[in-house]
Amino acid sequence: MSPVILAARDIDYVYPGNVQALQGLSLDIEQGRKLAVLGPNGSGKTTLLLHLNGTLKPRRGEILLDGRPAAYDRRSLNIWRSRVGLVLQEPDDQLFSASVYQDISFGPLNQGLSAAEARERVRLALAALHIKPLAERATHMLSFGQKKRVAIAGILAMRPEVLILDEPTAGLDAQGVAQLLTVLEEQRRAGATLVFATHDMDLAYTWADVVAVFCDGRVLRQGETVAVLSDRELLQAARLKMPWLLEVAQALGELEQPPRSQEALLELLRQSHSSPVTVQTPLPDPPPQGGRELLQNSYLAYSPSPCGRGLEGGG
Amino acid sequence: MHLTDQHAWTNRWRRYHPAEKLLLAGGLLLLSITLPPLTTAPVVLLVVWLATVIGAGIPAAALARFIAVPSAFLLTSVPFLVLSVSSSQGIAFSPSGLETALRVVARSLAAISSMAFLTLTTPVIAWTPLLRRLGVPQAIVEIMLLIYRLIFVFAEQAVTASQAQAARLGYDGIRRSLHSLGLLVASLLERSLARMRRLEIGLAARNFDGELRVLQPTYALSLWRLALIGSTLLAVAAVSLLGNQLLAKAMT
Ligand SMILES: Nc1ncnc2c1ncn2[C@@H]1O[C@H](COP(=O)(O)OP(=O)(O)OP(=O)(O)O)[C@@H](O)[C@H]1O
Ligand SMILES: [Mg+2]
Repeated sequence: MSPVILAARDIDYVYPGNVQALQGLSLDIEQGRKLAVLGPNGSGKTTLLLHLNGTLKPRRGEILLDGRPAAYDRRSLNIWRSRVGLVLQEPDDQLFSASVYQDISFGPLNQGLSAAEARERVRLALAALHIKPLAERATHMLSFGQKKRVAIAGILAMRPEVLILDEPTAGLDAQGVAQLLTVLEEQRRAGATLVFATHDMDLAYTWADVVAVFCDGRVLRQGETVAVLSDRELLQAARLKMPWLLEVAQALGELEQPPRSQEALLELLRQSHSSPVTVQTPLPDPPPQGGRELLQNSYLAYSPSPCGRGLEGGG
Repeated sequence: MHLTDQHAWTNRWRRYHPAEKLLLAGGLLLLSITLPPLTTAPVVLLVVWLATVIGAGIPAAALARFIAVPSAFLLTSVPFLVLSVSSSQGIAFSPSGLETALRVVARSLAAISSMAFLTLTTPVIAWTPLLRRLGVPQAIVEIMLLIYRLIFVFAEQAVTASQAQAARLGYDGIRRSLHSLGLLVASLLERSLARMRRLEIGLAARNFDGELRVLQPTYALSLWRLALIGSTLLAVAAVSLLGNQLLAKAMT
């Protein structure tokens, strides 16, 4: 197991208005591995991420940086945020400057780099996210996806060891997602640790080494992607859907190694074409038909049901 | 405002030193104010058109629109100059008033158009180094830029929110429109505050320490362009004065 670079230990957080967002949450971020934090809307993903760079301070519990409890004085926070970069869900919350170029230069200059060094960082970040042509544009003249890339570039330019992204692929087109993943893969190869918060199960399945399944402010389970996401009961408890690749793999039978990408699945199907696979496990329930049933299954089931019931054997 | 801003960011002369543009615009403004207006205005307008449309590549329509708005105000004052009121004649047309009106209009048009050139070709970020050099405190410049950015964020929010209201029939009839508008304003205020709080988080994630430090764009002064501007101004002055003499001879 790789060393844990950043961890949350038993943290509680309550928003004003008595909204309990996190309760007894623990999470390990291992150096050099890709972690996906998975959870339905309102489960506390964003709140957790804000703890991971010291924006929010837990009411109880602590954040560990390199195994040591993090301090919240100004100097420590500066070092912390230089090491742990957080890209917010909404790019407009991050872009403050009139020009793209200036916005990206903000972080590096705050780190105390010289203008020349900052210039170089901006150049590389622009190139990494394929947004060189946008450099001279006004921030308000960009599309949502373009703003998102600029926001990511602004953090990338600070060269953080841990790069945390809140819903990074939301609002990006297919090519944008592919490019982003390539960029992040380059960062990982250069030694960065990556964390995504997302509810895109399919993305998490193909991308992450490790996933943490999250519900109502707690981590229900953290572990190797395939193992965790194959656990149907767990996913149901967390109100999440099984990734379709795993769904297909399970329908095909108990595979030793379920395919991790669409290509791998197609290859598998091609190989087994001569000797057709027999379906061993029953197919999942067919989708609900009637309107009432649909309501009961999705909408009604969503609102009050506390998660984790399935795990604890209750129901 | 939005369109003007868009041209400022994208025109062909956006990378030229703002001081060069300021020199040209300021020079033209000075000439428009000091020289005889009837002959100066046409030349100034010609130069502005050449610089803005031919040079910077801004559509003539954008230039015309920029000049049109203040000109409309200008025209409303013309009747007061042309007509004179006296107790003996009542309201009467005055020939000398017409000449005064012509002068005023010509002078103002020229002045407005030289400012139009400056505004249409200079993006906001080009102003910051200049303002700093003129001694405006850093904090003030930062606030100006932040407000500039936030205007667009809020404007976008306002437009989307009102479109969403309209989509749900919120602007059907005066009563409902007023009600919707009230709701919109109230929600925008609240959302702006929330947004500012989130922006603070976003800035903090990049080690914000109270100063919005960013790389300033660098502009190179070009001797060639400065010389061109100088000779243009001289030419404008010469043509206008010469024209004025010819005009005076023709009148007598
Ligand atoms: N500023 C706030 N004030 C009060 N409550 C808040 C605030 N921000 C979030 N919450 C509440 O805290 C809980 C967790 O919210 P959070 O934003 O962390 O969820 P999330 O998992 O990121 O959801 P999403 O997938 O929709 O982004 C929710 O119940 C939410 O309503
Ligand atoms: Mg969120």
